Amino acid sequence: MKISRRMFLRGAGGAAIALPLLSDVPGARAQAAPPLKRFIVMFSPNGTIPSAWASTGQGAGFTPGPIFDDLVSAGHKNDLIVMQGLDMNACLDGPGGDAHGLGIGCLLTGTELAAGNQFEAGMGGPGSGWPGGISVDQFIASMLPKRQHLSIDFAIKRMSGSIWSRMSYTGPNGQVVEPFDDPTVAFNTLFANVGDSASAMALQAKRRKSVLDQVVGELQSLEGSLSGADRMKVDAHLTQIRQIEAQLQVMAPPTSCTKPAKPTLVASAPIVYNASGMETKQDPSADDDVPMRHDLARKMLAAAMACDMARVGTIMMAPSRSDIFLSWISGGVTESHHDYSHEGDNNTTAQQKLVQINQWYAAQVAAMITLLKSTPEGAGTMFDNTVILWANELGIGNAHTHTQIPLMLAGSAGGYLKTGQAVKMPSGTAHNRLLLTICQAMGLTGVTTFGNPKFCADGPIKEIVA
Amino acid sequence: MTRKLVRGPVGAAILSLAAVTIAASPGCKGRIGGGGAAPGAAGPSPGSSAGTAGASVAGGAGTGGAVATADGGVVPLVTSACVSAPPNPGRSPLRRLNLSEYAATVKDLLGVDTTVTNTFPPDQLLATQGAGFTNNADALVVTALLANAYMTAAEQFATAAVMDLSSLLPCDQTKVGEDACAQQFIADFGRRAFRRTLSADEKTQYFNLYTTGKTGAAFADGISLALEGFLQSPSFLYRVEKGAPASPTDEVAPVTSFEMATRLSYFLWGTTPDKTLLDVAEADQLQTPDQISAQVTRLMGDPRAHDAVTKFHTEWLNLAVIPTLDKDKALFPEWTPAIALDLFNEAETFVDKTFWGDAKSDAFFASSGSYANAELATFYGLPAPSGAGFQPVSFDPTQRRGLLTMGGILAANAKENQTSPVLRGKFVREQLLCQTLPPPPANLVIMPPQVTPGTTTRQRFAMHETQALCASCHTLMDGMGVGFENYDPLGRWRTTDQGLPIDASGTIVGTADLNGMFDGVVDLAGKFAQSEEARQCLVTQWFRFANGRAEVADDACTLQRLYQGFEDSAHDMRDLVTKLAVSDAFRYRSMKGGGQ
Repeated sequence: MKISRRMFLRGAGGAAIALPLLSDVPGARAQAAPPLKRFIVMFSPNGTIPSAWASTGQGAGFTPGPIFDDLVSAGHKNDLIVMQGLDMNACLDGPGGDAHGLGIGCLLTGTELAAGNQFEAGMGGPGSGWPGGISVDQFIASMLPKRQHLSIDFAIKRMSGSIWSRMSYTGPNGQVVEPFDDPTVAFNTLFANVGDSASAMALQAKRRKSVLDQVVGELQSLEGSLSGADRMKVDAHLTQIRQIEAQLQVMAPPTSCTKPAKPTLVASAPIVYNASGMETKQDPSADDDVPMRHDLARKMLAAAMACDMARVGTIMMAPSRSDIFLSWISGGVTESHHDYSHEGDNNTTAQQKLVQINQWYAAQVAAMITLLKSTPEGAGTMFDNTVILWANELGIGNAHTHTQIPLMLAGSAGGYLKTGQAVKMPSGTAHNRLLLTICQAMGLTGVTTFGNPKFCADGPIKEIVA
Repeated sequence: MTRKLVRGPVGAAILSLAAVTIAASPGCKGRIGGGGAAPGAAGPSPGSSAGTAGASVAGGAGTGGAVATADGGVVPLVTSACVSAPPNPGRSPLRRLNLSEYAATVKDLLGVDTTVTNTFPPDQLLATQGAGFTNNADALVVTALLANAYMTAAEQFATAAVMDLSSLLPCDQTKVGEDACAQQFIADFGRRAFRRTLSADEKTQYFNLYTTGKTGAAFADGISLALEGFLQSPSFLYRVEKGAPASPTDEVAPVTSFEMATRLSYFLWGTTPDKTLLDVAEADQLQTPDQISAQVTRLMGDPRAHDAVTKFHTEWLNLAVIPTLDKDKALFPEWTPAIALDLFNEAETFVDKTFWGDAKSDAFFASSGSYANAELATFYGLPAPSGAGFQPVSFDPTQRRGLLTMGGILAANAKENQTSPVLRGKFVREQLLCQTLPPPPANLVIMPPQVTPGTTTRQRFAMHETQALCASCHTLMDGMGVGFENYDPLGRWRTTDQGLPIDASGTIVGTADLNGMFDGVVDLAGKFAQSEEARQCLVTQWFRFANGRAEVADDACTLQRLYQGFEDSAHDMRDLVTKLAVSDAFRYRSMKGGGQ
């Protein structure tokens, strides 16, 4: 297999790519008119209750565990691939402090965290830096035809930008993708101009470009006078401005694009951090608007994808180590999700609440699937061309394991994946292989490894390929 | 025989600049400063890079800072190497305005509504020791969302500002002509936005932006476009410094007067320089210590300085968390949002009144007085003070002394249903002694022991002492923290826990001048009131706030002089602020910027 140096560099820490499938320029594709496919990540935190996740039976004759109740009752059972037995091997042999930060760092990157002490706080360990490479969502987005937005990312809860509350990266050393955590900002960014006249949009684009050109010139001049960390700081800023400029050049959304309703939520309460930079516990009632925020994020993501503004999207339904009080679940809660997740196996109340909490997150995934199924596309629906990954930063919640991660796919990505089954992999199977399989399902069939290549020696997970 | 590479204990980081290195047990990775050596010498954690916010506190090469040697002799705080050392400003990283500075600056420049900044992505806080202020330069980068937010906010601010051109512009465009007035505006507003005069090239570039915006549109559209440019310029968003090196090869240079105006204004006001500062800077009158001190005096006399001082205290002591605290409602129905807010206000009032009163930091550990309103006095079991709002109150001096017994701080460093010797000890070590504590071992599931009737908190946390793995680190936190057992999870005085009498005796190890037994916090406060290590930590925290970064080894002389100055002034905090403004780190910059 021959890999060009340039492609290898781009894939470093991310994916190894066999040429000649893809050109150097995203968008200028070797393949003619690739099928339109979409990839969505939905993240929920704090591990699972294994007995409630496990399916009875494997393959197509599986009966999903109770956590999947809402997915089944919504009629999505045959769209699921429930994975069991996948481990995050990259978490097991690299640096990492707190188990939650470590887990969410490895989850989508499939890389070890960098050494360091940037994230030394938390529950333990000698600390770490940021994850070592690009995350699978961003990698896929960078390889697909260019859209108005590389990806559209939501975080339901407003959080500091630490390793605990970020999961998508464009590269190593903390190149985080910042999600929208304010519905109004998301709406204004995505949809404010939808429906404007072409001339109004052209005028705004022209004004913005003239200002950004000036800013780029100043940043370049400043960058040239700096070195080391200061230079990197300005360079990162420059990259962001160029990204905005690139967006200006992409065609405006089609006028047929349907705007969702404008959110009327006020900005969330300011965040308070403890001395370790972690969010401190808030008044539980501050979480009461969380279900509404989920609804808004789903609708905006589906609407934006229906307009083909982006082909990759993520919803962080809660940060890792989430302290959200899910007071709306049946019977209410007396503790936050994270506090429950620390209770021992013999605490039956906590176990039951944790199953309910995971069921609630499953219901959010079910609602996303339902939304996509209700949007016609071609001869079918949007969902036909989509694959959703539901993921978690831990395996068993109270043991904080990085093994036996609850991972589920929904949707076949245009018929590539064999849905409607539970698949139990041998213990020790790296989740990198699932990430690799998703790359291939998204049309990147020349990609042969993702994350740390050593975890992909056995290739994609053939059991889930149609 | 095969040769093996022998690796030392993880904790035994070899650091030439560290005073002492304690190899902790394998379960307790990291190192703790102090250990009976140089005060304040809490060294970097393993893996910390000196270029970022790794903390190496000033004792210099293990020599400075100490007040008394083992044989009772007195060592001067300023070592001989520092007496005639050339200026050494440490690191000078490029500083971005943080969100509150940005919002205050836009408001000062344009007088527009800035509430949109509430939707900006929040500033990141670094977890690294010494980086805990929101103005830490290493944490302030521009991400994709922030770049977008700057753009859309600039458009919104500009649109609002040009609604009232006569207030915005320094001229009447109908009299002097539109283009001539635009040129005046660019020179005038540009100087305020960039906090320096614009170059001829810059004036041309911004005039071109104005022309682009005006073409095919109105005059105001041109002004608006130039404004959008100013508000997204790196010269506005960052505090760009070039220094004034005498020779291009100089590694250290004084900052220019304009740069000094900016440093002073953001340090003491948290916002952009006013007209007086800019005028003094333009006359290059911010170079000598006297010139700088005169402006410090002027700025400190302005109400805006109170906001900056409050910000320092709030972030240093993590007071903002107090109004958000939850306590177990079944156990403590008297805990209400109103009381939580009162406790926050008490702490803030106490530190601020001390600072603006006699300014001596001694009260932080010696005072048995505080401030309370009627509700808070009742909460504490005091008679309500006369007069409305917060009034001076006196506690029983055998129960309360200063910060260590401040109700809100005690409540913040406790659990919802029980006290936490760990959190209280950790708070004192990290915030009041500037020590770096190692994190717990990896993959340890940490659960505070359940409250059980008939067992005191002290008994429930005893595992930390009996298990060697825990004890190696917890001796540092719990040994001090158990002394706080006379204060319940809300911060109120108590004499029993679960019906059993309180044992508030503790043992301190790993400090410079606090080691030994103590009984209760009043006793502990007496030790703190005498502690040079505690005073030096206060100086160090102010240093971090003033310079937007953690201290590095090169700051040793600056810190030694500040420590000495603080002793010479009998611990005068306002004097400290002035001395900070004329210290090497503040008057000079490293021409390597944020690198090392």
